Amino acid sequence: MGSSIATAGYTFVVEETKEVVGEDLGLLQEKLLQLNWGVQHPASGPMRLKVWVDGDEVVKVDPDIGYVLRLLEKLVEYRTWINAIVNVERACFMDDFGTMTGYSIAAEKIAGVEVPKKADYVRTILCEGGRIVSHLIGLGSFVGVMGVHTPMQWALIAREKFLDAFETFSGQRIATSSIVPGGVRYEPTGKFIEKMVVAVDYLEKEFIPRYEEVFVDNPTLKIRSVGVGKVSKEKAIEIGLAGPALRASGVASDIRKDYPYAAYGELDFKVITKEEGDSYARYLVIWEELKESAKIIRQAIEGLPEGDYRTKFPIKVPQGEAYVNVEWARGCFGFHLVSEGGTGPYRLKMRAPSFANLWAMPEIMKNVKLADVPVIFASLYMCHGDIDR
Amino acid sequence: MEAWLKALFFPGFLFLLVVFLMIFYFERKILADVHLRTGPYYVGKWGILQTTADVFKLLQKEFIIQRRANKLLFSLIPFVAFLLVVALIAFIPFSENLWVVSTSFDLLIILALVTGMPPVFFYAGWASKSKYSFIGGLRVVNQMISGEIPLWLSALSVAVFFGTLNNLEIVKESSFLSFLVLLPAFLIFITSTLIVTDRPPFDIPEAEQEVVYGFLTEFGGFNYAILVLSKLVELFALYCVAVILFLGGFKGPVLPGIVWFFIKIAFLYLFTFVVRASTPRIRMDQLLRFCWKVLTPLALLNLAFVILIKMFLF
Repeated sequence: MGSSIATAGYTFVVEETKEVVGEDLGLLQEKLLQLNWGVQHPASGPMRLKVWVDGDEVVKVDPDIGYVLRLLEKLVEYRTWINAIVNVERACFMDDFGTMTGYSIAAEKIAGVEVPKKADYVRTILCEGGRIVSHLIGLGSFVGVMGVHTPMQWALIAREKFLDAFETFSGQRIATSSIVPGGVRYEPTGKFIEKMVVAVDYLEKEFIPRYEEVFVDNPTLKIRSVGVGKVSKEKAIEIGLAGPALRASGVASDIRKDYPYAAYGELDFKVITKEEGDSYARYLVIWEELKESAKIIRQAIEGLPEGDYRTKFPIKVPQGEAYVNVEWARGCFGFHLVSEGGTGPYRLKMRAPSFANLWAMPEIMKNVKLADVPVIFASLYMCHGDIDR
Repeated sequence: MEAWLKALFFPGFLFLLVVFLMIFYFERKILADVHLRTGPYYVGKWGILQTTADVFKLLQKEFIIQRRANKLLFSLIPFVAFLLVVALIAFIPFSENLWVVSTSFDLLIILALVTGMPPVFFYAGWASKSKYSFIGGLRVVNQMISGEIPLWLSALSVAVFFGTLNNLEIVKESSFLSFLVLLPAFLIFITSTLIVTDRPPFDIPEAEQEVVYGFLTEFGGFNYAILVLSKLVELFALYCVAVILFLGGFKGPVLPGIVWFFIKIAFLYLFTFVVRASTPRIRMDQLLRFCWKVLTPLALLNLAFVILIKMFLF
């Protein structure tokens, strides 16, 4: 990317290749300074942003990814239809249920398997649980990049309750492998439902009021994030934002509403949108979706039907392909699944929302201050596992 | 007690060290309480020795100097910074007769020493020859200079009001009325103290998510401990000054003077910790705008107000 910045009229020296010795003033002589924002950086996660700064102004940002590449799409080709979920769920450990649901629906479409109603409801409960878990971490890390670690600690306490529920359901807290083609893998016992209700109760009665009092409408938080990284509605569509970041720009795009899957068609919820399109709006979208998800879980638990939770999924699936979108915590997650009639998938392509947001980020980070880089980065709500896959 | 004994033990180095271990412990405990965590727990009763253990861990660490760094400056800076700020403590009267030095220019010397800190921290960043440290160093200079002017102006309004620069005399002359008159100056002083000592929400030079602890990035082990300690001592010294100037120092009923002094200090620290737990960091340009457009004019107005009060009422 070095040539493009040269054509833009800037001259810069790549610091890495230059030795600063002796009495040389070194850094003081350069006009543009290239900062490596990552891989070893408190706020970057396992990726690198090359940030060129002119004083305090950011001139250009260039993401450098691939540090957590696990070849998940390729690995799926060596698994059977059921086993492949362990690779699919590892796209991002924050919300693994969304990805597993998407893959399962795609596999069921090819095989022509009808899923029992109870499985659909349990999937909905789990997906929303995963969304809440993910959004909690998102809220915590957004305020965390401004030097306040309180929200993250509060969020982790609320998250623990949900992880307890997942543990009761599947025996695992994070990588649950619990949604398979043909339904869900375990019986949703009364104890699981009970723990889920406890978790939602804690979220609605303790976490949300306490958090709302301090960190929503917080004046300092607003000073930092209102108007930062603003994206208009047209621009958001043009650069292909996804998920909460897209909805914060005023585009009411939600797969749960537009193309209902699982039990979403039968439940009542609204799509959160904001018109401002800045970092604070993105933060508020995450915050309000959290409340909405809690309502969905309550409805789904009330409407949980009796019956089977799983049907038999064939070992060999006929030839065919399917494309399924699901509304994952971080946006629209697409699965293009191809079957050649074998015991496992022939090819799986995952369309990741975080990847889309990442490549929209250099556009947003133009003419901002250095201190805005972590704020915009956190507000776009990306997951590193999802970027690299 | 001999002056050198005072300087070494009480209220000198040893006393300071214990006070800092306790302040650091309480900071972690109170932050943990806001976070709904337990905080230090295992080392000693109620985890009270955790901070001591941490300091000893830092002392054992390897002494690493970056290859490109200016070696002399890099190893010297932490000690220079420490000596500069520890000298501040000598001028603080902790009670009627607990002080190391008392001159007629106490306040002036303290403020002058505080003003000497930005170059030291800038050189700490510059000598590291690392990008983030360098940016951190520049930010320190920017921030401290804009914070020191309101600090000076608000402290000087006290000197004008009492007509003296000697800390002991200021404490002796202070009363409830003086507290009320100097309340605006107190608020300005505390705000600019937070700015000058890089405490949250003004911890811009050491923002770890932006510039990776700024000028502290390359320091490790003992050097790091000393540098961080000197920043903490600076805050402590300025809070001591705030207590002396505005809150009546060691004055108070029943309890001995030093206890009252530390109760007042504890209130200021509690305020600092709660602010740290709930207020996000602001941006450099916002800070500069705040300092030059709000804080400095207010401090000037306050100085004029105090002069008027002095002219017509006393």
